[in-house]
Amino acid sequence: MSKVADERSNAAGSLAGERRAGISGSRFAASMAYFERAAKVIPGGIYGSKSPGFLVPGHFPYYLSRAQGSRIYDVDGNEFIDYLCGYGSQIVGYGNPAVDGPALEQARKGDLLNQPHPAMVELAERLVGLVDGMDWAVFVKNGTDATTLATSIARADTGKQIIVAAEGAYHGAANWCSTNVFPVFTQAEQRDVRFFPYNDVQALEALFAEHRGRIACIILTPYHHPTYKPQQMPTPEFIAAVERLCRAEGAYFIVDDIRANFRLDMHGSHRFFGAHPDLVTMGKALANGYPISVLLGRDSLRKTASSFFITGTYWMSAVPMIAALATLDEMERLGGAARLAALGGMLKEGLESLGREAGFCARVSGPLAIPYLTFDEDTDLYLNQRFCAAMADRGVFLHPHHNWFISLAHTEEDIARTLDAAREAFRELRQQARGADSSGG
Amino acid sequence: MKTNFSQLTLEEKSVLARLKASLALRLAEEACACDTGLQRACPPRGVSMKISIRGAGPVLGLRVPQGSRRSGPRPGRRPSLLLFFPSAEAAVRVFSGVKGTAIPLPLGAGALAALAFFRKTSSRATELLRAPDTSKETRARLLLAATLYGLEAIAGESYLVRRMQIVPDGVVGVRAGEIAYRVAKKGRIIHVQKDAPSAVAPAAAPDSSTPNALLSFADYQKAIDVLSGKRQAVVALGSGEVRIEGLLPLVQGLFAVLDRLSWYLGVEI
Ligand SMILES: Cc1ncc(COP(=O)(O)O)c(C=O)c1O
Repeated sequence: MSKVADERSNAAGSLAGERRAGISGSRFAASMAYFERAAKVIPGGIYGSKSPGFLVPGHFPYYLSRAQGSRIYDVDGNEFIDYLCGYGSQIVGYGNPAVDGPALEQARKGDLLNQPHPAMVELAERLVGLVDGMDWAVFVKNGTDATTLATSIARADTGKQIIVAAEGAYHGAANWCSTNVFPVFTQAEQRDVRFFPYNDVQALEALFAEHRGRIACIILTPYHHPTYKPQQMPTPEFIAAVERLCRAEGAYFIVDDIRANFRLDMHGSHRFFGAHPDLVTMGKALANGYPISVLLGRDSLRKTASSFFITGTYWMSAVPMIAALATLDEMERLGGAARLAALGGMLKEGLESLGREAGFCARVSGPLAIPYLTFDEDTDLYLNQRFCAAMADRGVFLHPHHNWFISLAHTEEDIARTLDAAREAFRELRQQARGADSSGG
Repeated sequence: MKTNFSQLTLEEKSVLARLKASLALRLAEEACACDTGLQRACPPRGVSMKISIRGAGPVLGLRVPQGSRRSGPRPGRRPSLLLFFPSAEAAVRVFSGVKGTAIPLPLGAGALAALAFFRKTSSRATELLRAPDTSKETRARLLLAATLYGLEAIAGESYLVRRMQIVPDGVVGVRAGEIAYRVAKKGRIIHVQKDAPSAVAPAAAPDSSTPNALLSFADYQKAIDVLSGKRQAVVALGSGEVRIEGLLPLVQGLFAVLDRLSWYLGVEI
């Protein structure tokens, strides 16, 4: 029996006699069976952003078993062209041998050792040489570790408390920045995080004026990628205002590049937008999915960073560092940001024109390599959900609520197949709408 | 962790009192709408009464028109009775079936009949929820009313302030079979209104009259299972027994209020 078939029967077998109406009888039967089991032993079954409710139940798999290149395969054996890329972490393709080869070789030799592997030095040197304006690097595991460390260092260095952030921005799952807004956190860790509407220079000026002398830092993603909303690029005036206000306040400017890193520019997304941050956080694509994130900083903060006790059991594992070095090489070899933008451009142009042909105002926002489609006529995202469901039915994994990612494993043929599916999906949406019109609904 | 009434803050005590009173009233109205026996027992001119709890916000009203399956607070005759509770604790005790002080103040003719009818409908609502032979539709109606009006009753409390701030404003259509509601969230306020099922259906071409989000149960039984806690909401969602469409953060925000509601309902008296 194949591995997939094995998984299917494992999942389904353990649910004998417990099948329910709906998805359990569909092409996601094994996914659903695992989910039912999970819900008994894991809070929420699948928690956080991977929760089924964040997708469109009935149209998307809940459990994946393998992936290769630009394709993912679920536990029912369904195949998808993937545009979520492990939430951005896959940049040179799933299972890329140029990365997995050296990483697996190191795994055999030893991953988590008592002391760091020399790859840590090489990676720090490489990143410091590569990322604009950065003089040192600290490696951590998750993006949240990096953003939390960045804001903590800014606070310790300035002796000031307030962190400024944009409304709707995501900087991780720690209490200071998460949407777990229980009073016990809002009255403590979240109390000193102040928000303003992205790109709104006036509101930002007002916030800096209101808290003069108390602001430690501003943390911003290089461009705005809120969930459930179109993405927004920064205006040049906005970046200039951020830097001017930080200088006047003596506050640090942190660019949280965890989601976008290397997809816009190998030298960091801040170069793409002409920004000059003091601290930069990166993660996700850094090692093509191997667990590692990094905080990079300027010399001015080196002393404070050195005075911090920074550690985590797994933070110096060798394999992700080897993988990161190989990923950087492979990104360059495969054409890097320019190639991603070319593929993303094809997708954007194709989707927007197919949408127009079908009578929709479908708009792809954000950078070409990190696109997200919304419908101007439906800010509640009903159409997004239907469109992405129709695409998933046709074997293309596009998230209805979260931005998408192009990887260097995507090909022109993938994009062409995606657009063929989109033509049918838009048509299906149009037919539904016509049906509703003619029935008076 | 279970919380005892004595451990609550003053605000929580009054929110709980208001919640319990509101649920008693709305369930009484719902029971009248479902139960022909109650409709027959209703005084000839219908029933209109108010509840006031010292320190727990504006008065709450019950209106049951005679001879109609429809119910709910509507303009009509003047209330004949004010049921006054001298403290939040008194109201919580009485509405939890424990001995407590309630002072009936007649406001017009039929006060005693109104009180007797309210008692009867309240106990009938509890009975309908418990009885195994209650129809699925009736059980779903009662559970949905308790849940949604429960959200309405607690939404403004300070525990939920920040949560309500990050949830977008908008209207959620809630649907189970022929039962349909519109739940409007604006700032700190949640307002619940019954609606026609056709107005709360998935629209192929969403327009300005479409609620910002839809929460629909596949059938009455699925609604009962989820609302009574027999089936975890996340699993029901994952399996398609419950569907959410449209502006997800609006519905997710209401789920957080729902968690707080179950905390209140778990308070030991
Ligand atoms: C911009 C940004 N910052 C921080 C994080 C948190 O990263 P992690 O999930 O690895 O903790 C994310 C994750 O999505 C992100 O997109």
